[in-house]
Amino acid sequence: MDNELAVDAVGVTKTFGSLRAVDDITVQVAPGEVYGVLGPNGAGKTTFLRMLFGLIRPDAGTIRVFGRSWDADGIATLDGVAGFIESPAFYPYLTGRQNLEGLGLLDGGLPSDRLGEILDIVDLSDRADDKVGGYSYGMRQRLGVAASLIREPRLLVLDEPANGLDPAGIRDMRALVKRLADSGLTVLLSSHHMDEVEEICDNVTIMRKGSVAFHGAIAQLRAMAPDPGYVLSTTDDHRALEMARLTAGVQAKRDEDAGLVVTGQEDAVSAYVSALVRDDVRLLAFTPTRTPLQQLFFMLTDPDGTGATKGEAA
Amino acid sequence: MTTTDVLTGRATTAVAPVDRRRPGIGAALRWETRKLRAQLRTKALLIGAVLAPIAVVVVVHSQPRPPKDTLFGRFATENGFAMALLVLGVAAQWVLPLLTSIVAGDIFASEDQHGTWKTVLTRSTSRSRLFWAKTVVAIVFALVALLVLAASTIAASVLIVGHQPLTGLSGQTIGASSALQLVAASWATMALPMIGFTCLALLFSVWSRNAAVGIAAPVVLGLVMQLVGALGGIETLRPFLLTTPFEAWHGLLAAPRFTGPLLDSVITSAGWSVVCLVAAYLIMRRRDITGG
Repeated sequence: MDNELAVDAVGVTKTFGSLRAVDDITVQVAPGEVYGVLGPNGAGKTTFLRMLFGLIRPDAGTIRVFGRSWDADGIATLDGVAGFIESPAFYPYLTGRQNLEGLGLLDGGLPSDRLGEILDIVDLSDRADDKVGGYSYGMRQRLGVAASLIREPRLLVLDEPANGLDPAGIRDMRALVKRLADSGLTVLLSSHHMDEVEEICDNVTIMRKGSVAFHGAIAQLRAMAPDPGYVLSTTDDHRALEMARLTAGVQAKRDEDAGLVVTGQEDAVSAYVSALVRDDVRLLAFTPTRTPLQQLFFMLTDPDGTGATKGEAA
Repeated sequence: MTTTDVLTGRATTAVAPVDRRRPGIGAALRWETRKLRAQLRTKALLIGAVLAPIAVVVVVHSQPRPPKDTLFGRFATENGFAMALLVLGVAAQWVLPLLTSIVAGDIFASEDQHGTWKTVLTRSTSRSRLFWAKTVVAIVFALVALLVLAASTIAASVLIVGHQPLTGLSGQTIGASSALQLVAASWATMALPMIGFTCLALLFSVWSRNAAVGIAAPVVLGLVMQLVGALGGIETLRPFLLTTPFEAWHGLLAAPRFTGPLLDSVITSAGWSVVCLVAAYLIMRRRDITGG
């Protein structure tokens, strides 16, 4: 049992009418791993997670969770699994505590001291007796994590947990997910934010229009990432462009919207900027563009982009 | 050792697998009952079932002329048992289907409305258990509401109008004690068609995923069935209508009594209930939860 994959989804396909939402994807998550499923909206991430939870049935392929499948094991497939799909939903006319007690009931009962501990973990103890209808979005997300924790899961599945949160909420949610991952839980996290996955996950599957565009380690992804880019505004863009041609390791092009876009490794760009200053070309602005991984993400998932970078593409 | 142990600092090593005790249908029943009790609508319906008959009895009793064109209307202002049967006749037309549909028509659809299917179906309780728990809770509520409505109507009628001997449908005189039993029995015969309408509302609730449809459709369908039942030349169809069992009590107030319609009522109500529940169950088992 210990050697069994936490998630072993092979050749999974799901079609809604003429739309192939998930197209022959394979995702395998080892126990203890923090795994990201990344993709833009509509890539098929949520459909995949819904199939994992048995909310919808795949048209083809198999999904096993800790060696169990819906066809063979039914609801027992979810033993040791918890999480939420999209934004977690609760009964607005019940309090947070009543919601958790009820869900605990559906899981075989929940001791009240355990409930208190879980409410502390997600920082909802003070509002636990308020009706959920009055909760903010961030509080509902945290209640969703609490509802997952009462199952004492081995695999935690979180679908865009930071989606819709304000910056402080995003920071808190990511910190919570990290703590959960550090506790030894297997975490399967879906997101459309590269930085979130990069910060938390060990391995990643990037989806595009229902298919897998990349799967592998974050380290592999970093190795594939293009050089970082910067937007420059100078007193003499023409001269700056000329100088870029003469500087090794730096590429520059004029962008109608952004201005002068320079790419290259940090050292090379630094030398280039120094050379500009020495040559009396004054810098008015120097702004990093997308991070290299974000750039790679867009290359992999933008259907009209130049993203042929599929060294590890499935 | 559990995840919460780790997170609350009671342990420092990895999480151990936890084998959960799988709950039976009792847990789902308790959960559905708690939700129903917490809803304002449930309380309002039961309070309405107590107060509305009292108001109706007071208003009808204060009328200078009785509603003679209604069954037992002629004696309603001077006889409490007739008043209770008059209210029963009116309630059977649309009040009872509406009363049960407000809960049963919403009980599945509200999960779609709140988006909570994904919350409850990712726990350790199967779709089947949730389905049967909701069904049982809806039926029990229908019976409780009927009981409250009947008790309030009979009590208000007898206390406000009086408990004189009742004139039966064949013109016979029925003593007060027998009349009370027959009136109670007449109200009790509403249970079966009411369960039938409950199951019909459950089907609409599952199928439409829309509470408004789940509540309104059974009531409208009930009115249509009454209209069809009133038409001439459809004697072969009438026993199959779910509204026909609402009239089965008439035989109890005739002399001699006849109970054939009550047997038909059992068969018709059970048939509708089984067909609706099987259809709802199959839809529920097979549906993809893509939204909620």
